[in-house]
Amino acid sequence: MWETARPSKPPHRLPRGFMAITLATILVFALGAVVAPSSISHSAIIGMVPFAAVLAIAGLGQMLVVQHGGIDLSVAGGVSLAVVIVTHQPDGNDARLAAAVAMAIAFAIGAGLLNGVLVSRLRLNSIIATLGVNALFYGAVFVISGGTPRSTTRLLARIAGDLTCGVPHAAVFAVAALVAVSLLTKCTVAGRRFEAIGANPSAARAVGLRVRLHHTLAFVWAQLLYCLAGILLAGITNQPTAFQGDSLLLPSVAVVVLAGTSLLGGRGFPVATVIAAVFLRELQQFVLALGVDTSVQTLVQAIALAVGVALYSVNWSSVRRRLLGRGPRLANAAPAQQPRRNP
Amino acid sequence: MKRRSPVIALAITLAVAELALAGCRSKTSSNGSDVAAATHLAGAPDWCGTKQITLAQLDGFGGNSWRLVTTASGAEEVKKCPSVTSYQYANGNGDTQKSISDIQAFTAKGVDAMVVFADAGQAMLPAIRSAYKAGLVVVPYRVEVGGKAGVDYTQFVGASFLNDGVNWGKWIKSILPGGGNLLFLSGPKGNSQGNDELRGMKSVLDDSYKFINEPPYDVTNWDPALTQTVLTAEIAKNPKIDVIVSDFGPSLVGALPVFQKSGRSIPALATSDGNALGCFWKENHAANPDFKLFTVATGNDNVRLAVDWAVAKATGGTPPTSTTFEAPMFEDSVSGKPNPVECEANLPGDIYLSAKLAKDVQATVINNK
Repeated sequence: MWETARPSKPPHRLPRGFMAITLATILVFALGAVVAPSSISHSAIIGMVPFAAVLAIAGLGQMLVVQHGGIDLSVAGGVSLAVVIVTHQPDGNDARLAAAVAMAIAFAIGAGLLNGVLVSRLRLNSIIATLGVNALFYGAVFVISGGTPRSTTRLLARIAGDLTCGVPHAAVFAVAALVAVSLLTKCTVAGRRFEAIGANPSAARAVGLRVRLHHTLAFVWAQLLYCLAGILLAGITNQPTAFQGDSLLLPSVAVVVLAGTSLLGGRGFPVATVIAAVFLRELQQFVLALGVDTSVQTLVQAIALAVGVALYSVNWSSVRRRLLGRGPRLANAAPAQQPRRNP
Repeated sequence: MKRRSPVIALAITLAVAELALAGCRSKTSSNGSDVAAATHLAGAPDWCGTKQITLAQLDGFGGNSWRLVTTASGAEEVKKCPSVTSYQYANGNGDTQKSISDIQAFTAKGVDAMVVFADAGQAMLPAIRSAYKAGLVVVPYRVEVGGKAGVDYTQFVGASFLNDGVNWGKWIKSILPGGGNLLFLSGPKGNSQGNDELRGMKSVLDDSYKFINEPPYDVTNWDPALTQTVLTAEIAKNPKIDVIVSDFGPSLVGALPVFQKSGRSIPALATSDGNALGCFWKENHAANPDFKLFTVATGNDNVRLAVDWAVAKATGGTPPTSTTFEAPMFEDSVSGKPNPVECEANLPGDIYLSAKLAKDVQATVINNK
């Protein structure tokens, strides 16, 4: 059992999404060890971790938006623009890297504010607004680069792609991002307000919280994380394309959902989001190591995703009762797809 | 209802008249089939005839360095023939609808000839056919569009990926005479380029050369991140990789250091050229004793052959004898022939030293974007 009952305190309960994704991740590693041992070899893990780190950081950004009931489709453009800026502007010159990073951050803040204003002030649907901003991002990508980023500078390749004591640097950045997001959302007053507003904006407004400000800032924090993901991706791939962020769009939403954050908003699960990123990337290594056809690889990943989501988002006891068609519905049975709320 | 303004009415009338005239042109202008005898403009190449024409170059997608260099190469080739009085370019931006409307727009404008990089493949054939039927010289190149020369378009100028495969196969045989393990990486699943290249290699290599990738090739989508992931999995799976074959060399630059991180030497590499790759080899071959490099030209000059064909057919010049661009061998780190590995460290990584377009012109083209 996953719960520990304590008579004097309310039971400490680990979130269902966290448990599900952790188990799934252990399972995929265990299965890899048995069926395709090369998928858990040292070189495979060292190769997988940087990409998992990038996905984890982008996923953390997406999670902050999802916590407020939105979905950010500008993650692809945000990451791609950061990639283009930090490769094109320095043009191989390490001395110009810092200025390029500052420029990428400035663009991220601007785009986050634009997303935030469109969604929270002008009340546009977040999917529509961020889709539009994503198109603007790609416009900027073309203006800056004509669609062709340059090679990464050596300094950035070292910062993002090298190892220290056997640990990929990108993983250190991902852990730092995780600690920052966790501490800020779970241990600060502003962070608790941020989650509370996501759980119930009406109640938050009624008690005088600045709902629109937090909504707007959710998009800004997200863009800053996408920017970090883009900068790391540029360093890891050395010779990136101008559309490198495209492949992160769906996975960034998938890791948030797999981690158990409700798409209706509310409580976020940063640790589970990072674990979900590791799960998805290791699953990719696993199917590659199996050596199955590309179409089967895609199917396996899709099925794993569906099973992962179904594990905790479907109320299985209710399904069982319906299928068996017996007994009255229990009064305290939790409804399926209940949005996670803060107390 | 608002009354239609006279200006709009006039514009509509003119547009209708233009369309009608475009229709008339189809009966009167030449699409190359009725050129009686070849002419030749003195001082110009054989393919440049005396009839004055306008020419358009249409790209399905123009947004990467390879396309920028290719477009500039096409424009440079056109300049060799003074009979081309006007040269125009359109970029479909990866949008099939826009690519089709670009063809229709140039047909309506009355250009005499067009070369078309039909990225959308057979989806472009109806537009290409209607341009040809309207009397234009139409030369699709590099990407197969289906149809037949003389029926749907003037001439298709293909690229011989089979020939690339043969060249790679011969080189692999020369450095690895006793056979070995080969890893072949190509683009999206099902792309015909990868299949042709594999056929070319297999025509040269016997069963002692084992392809350790999933048949027919490992799918990378020509995406550096996916290439890196796939290569990581293959390195973990295969303790012995003798040669990597890839049809997009520059995308490997980010992935090859994975070997060093695994404590192994980068193996021999047969691929297409790129300045970044040449520079990467120069920096890393000393520390990686097995890292030999062989490249074929990446094929920017395919467009030149297409332009030669289009201009020859439209101006009345002599068409080239070949209808297929065979990418020449470019670099060989072992024999140094036809060229040793080249690197221009002061120029952008994404220029192609195998292209005829001067390297500083390529750098200017890319830097201006």
